[in-house]
Amino acid sequence: MRFFGSAFISLLAFAGLSSAKSSSGDSVLVLLDPSLDKENFSLFFSGLEKRGYDLTFRAPKDVAPAISEYDVPSFAHVILFTPETKSYAKDITPQSLVGLLSEKTNLLIALSPKQTPLTSLASEFSLILPPPGTPLVSHHPARDGPPTVIPVPVSSSPIVTPGTPPVWFSGAPHALGNNPYLVPILRAPAESFAADSTDDSGADAIVDAAEKGGEGLWAGSQMGVVTGFQTAENSRVVFAGGVELFSDEYARKELSPGKPSGNAALARDIAGWVFQESRVLRIDSVTHHRVNETVAPEMYTTNDEIVYTAQISTYNSRTSSWQPYSGIDDLQLEFTMLDPHVRTALPPVPGSPGTYQVQFRAPDRHGVFKFVVAWRRQGQSYLLSSTTVPVVPPRHDGYPRFLSAAWPYYAGAVSTSAGFFLFAALWLAGDVKGEKKKGAKAE
Amino acid sequence: MIFLLSWLLLAASAHAATLSVQSPRFTISAADAKQLRSDTLSLTKKPEPLTLSPTDTLKLTFQITTDGEDGKGVQPHQTFLRFYDAVSGEEGIQPVRVTPGGKAKFELNMARPPASIPPTSSAPLEVSLILGSFVHDPAKYDLFDLYIPASQPAPTHADAAMFSPRPAIQHTFRPAQSLPPKAVSALFAGAVLAPWAVLLGLWGKVGISVPHLFAPSIVPFTALLGAFEALLFWYWVDLKLGQVLLYGAVLALPTVFAGKHALSTTGKWRAGRK
Repeated sequence: MRFFGSAFISLLAFAGLSSAKSSSGDSVLVLLDPSLDKENFSLFFSGLEKRGYDLTFRAPKDVAPAISEYDVPSFAHVILFTPETKSYAKDITPQSLVGLLSEKTNLLIALSPKQTPLTSLASEFSLILPPPGTPLVSHHPARDGPPTVIPVPVSSSPIVTPGTPPVWFSGAPHALGNNPYLVPILRAPAESFAADSTDDSGADAIVDAAEKGGEGLWAGSQMGVVTGFQTAENSRVVFAGGVELFSDEYARKELSPGKPSGNAALARDIAGWVFQESRVLRIDSVTHHRVNETVAPEMYTTNDEIVYTAQISTYNSRTSSWQPYSGIDDLQLEFTMLDPHVRTALPPVPGSPGTYQVQFRAPDRHGVFKFVVAWRRQGQSYLLSSTTVPVVPPRHDGYPRFLSAAWPYYAGAVSTSAGFFLFAALWLAGDVKGEKKKGAKAE
Repeated sequence: MIFLLSWLLLAASAHAATLSVQSPRFTISAADAKQLRSDTLSLTKKPEPLTLSPTDTLKLTFQITTDGEDGKGVQPHQTFLRFYDAVSGEEGIQPVRVTPGGKAKFELNMARPPASIPPTSSAPLEVSLILGSFVHDPAKYDLFDLYIPASQPAPTHADAAMFSPRPAIQHTFRPAQSLPPKAVSALFAGAVLAPWAVLLGLWGKVGISVPHLFAPSIVPFTALLGAFEALLFWYWVDLKLGQVLLYGAVLALPTVFAGKHALSTTGKWRAGRK
């Protein structure tokens, strides 16, 4: 009995570990090129299914299942392993894919040295692709195998677990524009470059291409091989230069006898980031009130002391739940009317997980202000919260009273009151003397 | 026979000829073709860092051979110079033109630098040579460190400022209104109250006769009048308009009757005196 109990508990724990679920949905549409063999990606797809995703497979030219019905996306995530497809069904166009991103659907896109509609989509995301037909080539390190299959060392990136071994890659590189929304995941090795030549006589062509001007030569570690982009709606898209990165063949290929490649681990990290499992934050609630009060007033007065509190949590994919998160140390609050009038740090409250609080004084300008928290960091979800609140000038009796400069006026007014009361009392109480003379005269 | 052939094969694969660099030389010359510095490069030890001013030209020459000095000159597939800034992580790759005989020449004119040079920071650029070929083993050599004139900073995206903490803004409040010194206010309050002193002094001399001050006919009215004054003072300190109007209305009713009674009593007194 005890044995079964402990086995059951350990099974539950194991199941919890293996189901790392996404925070934004489990349905995944996989568009697979007919020329690609689904069995060659079995490790990647079965890994996704084990983590709780529902995979639906479809060829690019199939009409059903459509990616969106009447502008509502049908799936939470879409994988496009279609590096060589030049024509798709009617529902998949670069515009419809961008529309999916606006509706918070995440995309994982595999490119290739061939020119496809996805190439023009990638350039919309500030990725500069080399001319068609120029795959990434590297003669370093010396190895058996063609120069287009390259072991790429995994550089530090906010998304990849440190210590991942080098990964095998073949495909096209891309240069990164200076767009801060890009999240570089894997960079090309320093000795690699994009070229279409197959023997040493192509050397002159390379020098000519570089001297011709324009973007010059795609070479070096400034190029990316797998790059992510996080949109303003917090949907994520990853462009991978080649689809073989995710294949079983490369996952099983060894770097040197006894050292496995890092392809499986990198594919898991990429999927974890793109499908909103890791590095997902959100603002749960936002409250504001005056000091010594608890309820938000309808409007604030200028020069009020205001306390602003935000609750932030992060998604834990292991437990599929949102947990309070106090790890942001550079959160800022802006009190804005057209321009920020006040910008202060919003520090976490020690002892209260997930709570960030600050107290500040409302400016002495009246108007309609906003509490704005806009936090963006590479690789993390963007936090954006905006609460509108009126700030009015003091009411007629909200100004300082009983000023020392008014003492003469207080004295005067009180004197008038006292004088009137005294006169009335004395007149009513007084003696009547002056009538005697008159009465005597009448007599 | 086969045994011998396999040994040959093994020998051939073991010595897929490695690329090597012969007689690397650099020359820094000024704008007027005067030589400022010229030296051979040792491929194992970096020389003193090279410095270029905005008008200097750096010339680099070498020959690429296979297998050491007596090897054949070759034109490999990849002959790149890599400019790497270790501090900022920026990198630039510049291909070098190599003749079919393996002779290579590279010229860097700071008056018109190539677009591949990365933007500068405080650290020198580490220059290395990368050689690669489809048929020979590749090679990489660290050549020298290079200081070049400062460049414009790399252009940044408009939204890049939002991705790091922005400077704090503190609102400058209007200074609190200044009041005149309290002594001046007290002095003038005293000036306002001075006539009372005069009045009380004169009354003391003349003497007031108030025989009916506490007469039961007029005390109610006097008291209610005092209450009205107190209500007014209370309104000044604390009450709102609605409250003072309510209390005033409540007080007004008995005051009307008390006042009529007081006035008729006073009238009777005057008539009686008469």
